[in-house]
Amino acid sequence: MSSVGAWFKRYLLQFVVLILVVGSMYAMNPKFHVETSIERLIPLGVIAAGLAVTMIAGEFDLSIASMAAFSGAITVSLSGLGLLFAVFIAIVVGILLGMLQGWAIAKLGINSLVFTVGTLILIRGMTWLVLNGLAVRVQDITATDMFRSKILFLSPLSLAALVIIVGLGIFLSRTRWGRELYALGGGRHEAIAAGVRYKRGMIVAFGISGGCGAVGGALVSALGGSAAPDALEVMLVSALSAVLVGGISLAGGRGTMVNVFLGFAIIAILSAGLAGLGTKAFVSELFIGVLLLVVVLFDYFLGFISERDRRNKLRKLAAAAA
Amino acid sequence: MTTTEKISIRFQDLSSVRRRTDAVRNWALPILIVLVFVVASATVPEFFKFETIRSILLLTSITGIVAVGMTAVTLSGNLFSLGVTSSAVFSGVIYVWVGQATGSMYAAAAVAIVAAVVIGLVQGFIVGLGLNTVIVTLAFGSIIYGLIAILTKGEVVQAQGVNLEGFATFQIFGIPLPIYIFVVFTALAWFLTEHTLIGRNVHLLGSNKNTARNSGISPMGTTIWAFTAFSLSIGIAAVLQTSQMHQIQADNLPGLTMDVVAAVLVGGTAVTGGDGSPVKSAIGALFIATITQVMVLMSIPEGQRYFVLGVIVVALVVVLHLLRKAGTR
Repeated sequence: MSSVGAWFKRYLLQFVVLILVVGSMYAMNPKFHVETSIERLIPLGVIAAGLAVTMIAGEFDLSIASMAAFSGAITVSLSGLGLLFAVFIAIVVGILLGMLQGWAIAKLGINSLVFTVGTLILIRGMTWLVLNGLAVRVQDITATDMFRSKILFLSPLSLAALVIIVGLGIFLSRTRWGRELYALGGGRHEAIAAGVRYKRGMIVAFGISGGCGAVGGALVSALGGSAAPDALEVMLVSALSAVLVGGISLAGGRGTMVNVFLGFAIIAILSAGLAGLGTKAFVSELFIGVLLLVVVLFDYFLGFISERDRRNKLRKLAAAAA
Repeated sequence: MTTTEKISIRFQDLSSVRRRTDAVRNWALPILIVLVFVVASATVPEFFKFETIRSILLLTSITGIVAVGMTAVTLSGNLFSLGVTSSAVFSGVIYVWVGQATGSMYAAAAVAIVAAVVIGLVQGFIVGLGLNTVIVTLAFGSIIYGLIAILTKGEVVQAQGVNLEGFATFQIFGIPLPIYIFVVFTALAWFLTEHTLIGRNVHLLGSNKNTARNSGISPMGTTIWAFTAFSLSIGIAAVLQTSQMHQIQADNLPGLTMDVVAAVLVGGTAVTGGDGSPVKSAIGALFIATITQVMVLMSIPEGQRYFVLGVIVVALVVVLHLLRKAGTR
């Protein structure tokens, strides 16, 4: 019982925000459907999950949106060979590129924020090259229909996202390699001193974020049947908002896939709900910005108060001892 | 030989390595720019002309001014801002509106710059509390973008019957005003960071926050100063950009944020803070603009330009990092 209570307490802030968002959406629009509105935003959840893994490992992958655009470009360019095959190739390329990136970061010992600003431009450039600077459509548009079918009650898209998020959750919390990412994020020097392999950790973390970026981008392109060289640029900001609203720490070492899921749900329901009300996209951007700021500030003050309480308690103990 | 002598010799060795790597780090980019100029002049016939060089400098000035301002934030150990674009567009919209209302481009510029500084101060205060710059500026970016889009209904904002182009068209010796402003702003920023108390505090805060605090430097105050300089640069750049384009829209300047970040990093300012200079960022911006312009003149298509730029940014960032590592070992 207490463990369930602790579990809820851990995600309390996110649950409260989620309930508030869903409640206010229903209040404003009684015909609001959560399931149908989230569907469109599924790729965002996958990309957010990838971003979260690097953040847990104490790193940052700014190139993830470019990776998504690149993988979308590959998907559409190779769609002549069969759409599923093209998606598969795009994801493999994404994972390999991500692993290469992680290897380079570990080998050079470079700040990933700096390195991925460079690869953000580089991979975007590769997208331009693949597409020859033009927006491209899938030739056989009927091939995209299979992504709209239903398996049980889930679309292939949400099924894929669910599998990825649950799979990553199990990987992070139950496997040795996953726990090592937490160690590298929480206390890098201590982790390395304790025998965690830094280079392997980086390759795994960036391989996952590259793969997630690729899955997200491939899904968007496969569903819409098109890819553009300047597509998905906002994905970085949206995914980052989802991850941070969800409560993953930028300092590294903290946060789970439950955080990612809650953050994604909040952002997706908020933007889908506002779109359902007939407001323009920029209105939801405004709300997401405010939400992000409120959550971060709230978190900051919570930390501030608990730190003060801890100090007061220590002071009292010291006074009692003396 | 006594142990202390041995140690002191080792330190001398280290400092000589450091001096050498520092020299490479300081001079690599200027030399690279000169090299690009020489090679381009030799291979591209229309490159070595007054007009081309003027357009490169003009291209540099907007990104360069913001990059110089952003350097203050990066130097103070506060990473970088991801909300440049929307602040600049906001300031540009204010410029057009106030210009339309008052008919004076000077009043408009003043109000636009003040607006940018006010936004910057709020963000600086929140960052000063100890929150991460990337998150705060990202959130503010979204909020401000949303506000602009709502206020302008997503439409183009244009001044009618008022001359707001003066700042961009005014020339001295055939060189447009933005270039002078860029140079003066860089010189001023250099003086402030290298020769004043505030500048030293920004440096120290970036190198070691705890030591700085223990020596009586206020992290809050210093961070706010850094953000003031940064937002001032956004305001100035926005005014110049808007007078150049005659109009502004919520979706304008999409690449500005990343261009500025790239200029700061390519210039060689450390993202961890405490190491770098506004002049380096200005040179970084100049380098990126030069490479881009050379590729435009060689009629390389946009996609390949983007790719080449990405390769160059990654390569430079890696080389700078390796040099810094060799210097501090």
